[in-house]
Amino acid sequence: MAFLINPEDQDLLDSVREFCEKEIKEQCKEYDVSGEWPAEIYAKAAELGYNGLEVPEEYGGLGLERITVAAIMEEFARADAGFVTTITASNLALKAVLIGGSEEQKQRCCDLLMEGNHGAFGLTEPMAGSDAGNSKTTAVRDGDEYILNGRKCFITNGGVASFYVITAMTDKSQGIKGMSVFVVEAGTPGLSTGNHENKMGIRTSNTCDVVMEDCRVPASAMMGNEGDGYKIAMKTLDMSRTWVGCGAVGIAQRAIDEAVAYGKQRVTFGKPILKNQALQFKIADMEIRVETARQMVAHALKLMDAGLPYSRESAIAKCYAGDVAVQNALESIQILGGYGYSREYPVEKLLRDAKIFQIYEGTNEIQRMVIGKSVIGKF
Amino acid sequence: MELLVCIKQVPDDTVNVTMGADGAPKLDDIAPVVNAFDTYALEMAARFKEANGGSVTVLTIGGEGAVPALRSCLSVGADRACRVEEASVCDPQGTAYLLSQASKKAGEQPFDVIFCGSESTDAASGQVGAQLAETLGLPVITNVLALEPKDGGISAKQETEDGYRVVEAACPCVVTIVKPDYEPRYPSIKSKMAARKMPVAVLTAADAQADASKFGPEAAKVQRAAISAPPQRQSGVKIQEKEAAEAVRRAMEIMVGQKLI
Repeated sequence: MAFLINPEDQDLLDSVREFCEKEIKEQCKEYDVSGEWPAEIYAKAAELGYNGLEVPEEYGGLGLERITVAAIMEEFARADAGFVTTITASNLALKAVLIGGSEEQKQRCCDLLMEGNHGAFGLTEPMAGSDAGNSKTTAVRDGDEYILNGRKCFITNGGVASFYVITAMTDKSQGIKGMSVFVVEAGTPGLSTGNHENKMGIRTSNTCDVVMEDCRVPASAMMGNEGDGYKIAMKTLDMSRTWVGCGAVGIAQRAIDEAVAYGKQRVTFGKPILKNQALQFKIADMEIRVETARQMVAHALKLMDAGLPYSRESAIAKCYAGDVAVQNALESIQILGGYGYSREYPVEKLLRDAKIFQIYEGTNEIQRMVIGKSVIGKF
Repeated sequence: MELLVCIKQVPDDTVNVTMGADGAPKLDDIAPVVNAFDTYALEMAARFKEANGGSVTVLTIGGEGAVPALRSCLSVGADRACRVEEASVCDPQGTAYLLSQASKKAGEQPFDVIFCGSESTDAASGQVGAQLAETLGLPVITNVLALEPKDGGISAKQETEDGYRVVEAACPCVVTIVKPDYEPRYPSIKSKMAARKMPVAVLTAADAQADASKFGPEAAKVQRAAISAPPQRQSGVKIQEKEAAEAVRRAMEIMVGQKLI
């Protein structure tokens, strides 16, 4: 059972699927080996408007329902998890701006995405991953400007973004309450990017350091007020986690697709291996996992649509779907046996791609802390 | 220039078709798609329009079920869409006649160039384009790979067995399109959503002033006598002799036995 989208949007999804099948799935194999960012594929996708799927209608977007965007994101992830990571990362930066930005900032970032550009969200630092409040990046007021200094790391789209959402401490003595957040456009003097990380998976996404050295931005680049940064960043992550879960669902689904296709063809002891109940049960368990993960994503999106609190559900969706992606990828490899372990077949890549879904956008340990605390409450 | 592209819906040719117990192909579960050659024709027409101005209208014969195909054309370069509400078209000549009549009503202005796919991927008769030109009394250039405007008419590259030759025609004219060296474009999210809101005009045979006796069952010049699946590919013969000389001798035996040499 796929995401239940309105029938009109099914046609839209079909055309996205065709693009994914013909332009992403096979092509990304080569880039997975080289680690090169497939600019040509992203340019084609940008032309079709895939960078602006989450831009609200009032800022020039197309007004797609969240559930339709989720179905599209799952297709992207089924084709290649690095691809969906790139798109999701742009939308992560966009979410921060939509949550905390001024009207002008919102319009500017929406325009950039609608024009086919990318965005990046810079919160993580070498000593501030899960412990995001331990940020060393500073922003010092100087007249009508702020001067940013510091280093962000593991920034998706770091080397290809047109705009960056950057958190920095405006008052270290206040701890997380001293964190502020800025929109910085690419090309701003003092902002540079480091080497592209040589990653285990999602190799078609760009990940690198973003460095600020006396990077001057106008005071109007700040979103909200001084001290609002941590709150905006956390709200952003709360929302975007569901979308990361959505990508994980796509990987988990691909793991089933590949295992079933192979298992029908592969004959041992005179019959296709999927005639064995042991493997049918494996497929059943994979399906149970992917479907429950998908419906958890759908549920979190429904809560967002309804304007209801969704932090816990978003964390569950991300955490569970991330675990499911890894489990399904492992099972898919097991079903393909030695071939599953070979790079000639697509499933070992799924495992390498899936692993990050337990790590980024808040590790699954952080998600469990969020979920646990929300259930237990203060006592 | 005003351009018309005639399209046909066919069963998705990427799906393996099986034969039913009644001897007919089982098509119920196969999604209809726009005939591949017609998608090339539409892409060529859209590029021609983008380079030279004008508009592209798509035309098909079919009921409500044809609307998604027309909308998909509207999302990849067509400006207007029209369908002829008529189910009982007999054969390629009847189709060409009905299209010829509808082509006179489908546009706001007369069409300068009428594009057809060179053939359909289901019946593959390859006749409609040429017969449409004949019915309208227009010149036709078949198997076109590319075209451009020239002296008020068009200049086309016509595919041949050895390469291509350049053929010119005055407008109005008909062209049938083969696979060019590019792929049809993908619809963007925006164009797909915009196409939903675009109108699809409907003509009846009467609106098109088409005479049913020229396209209905009684007009059939050809009839399908039988339909059958292509024979299954036979498995090959493995020659597994250990010695090369022995293997060659065995191969020669087989070829002589089959009267190949």
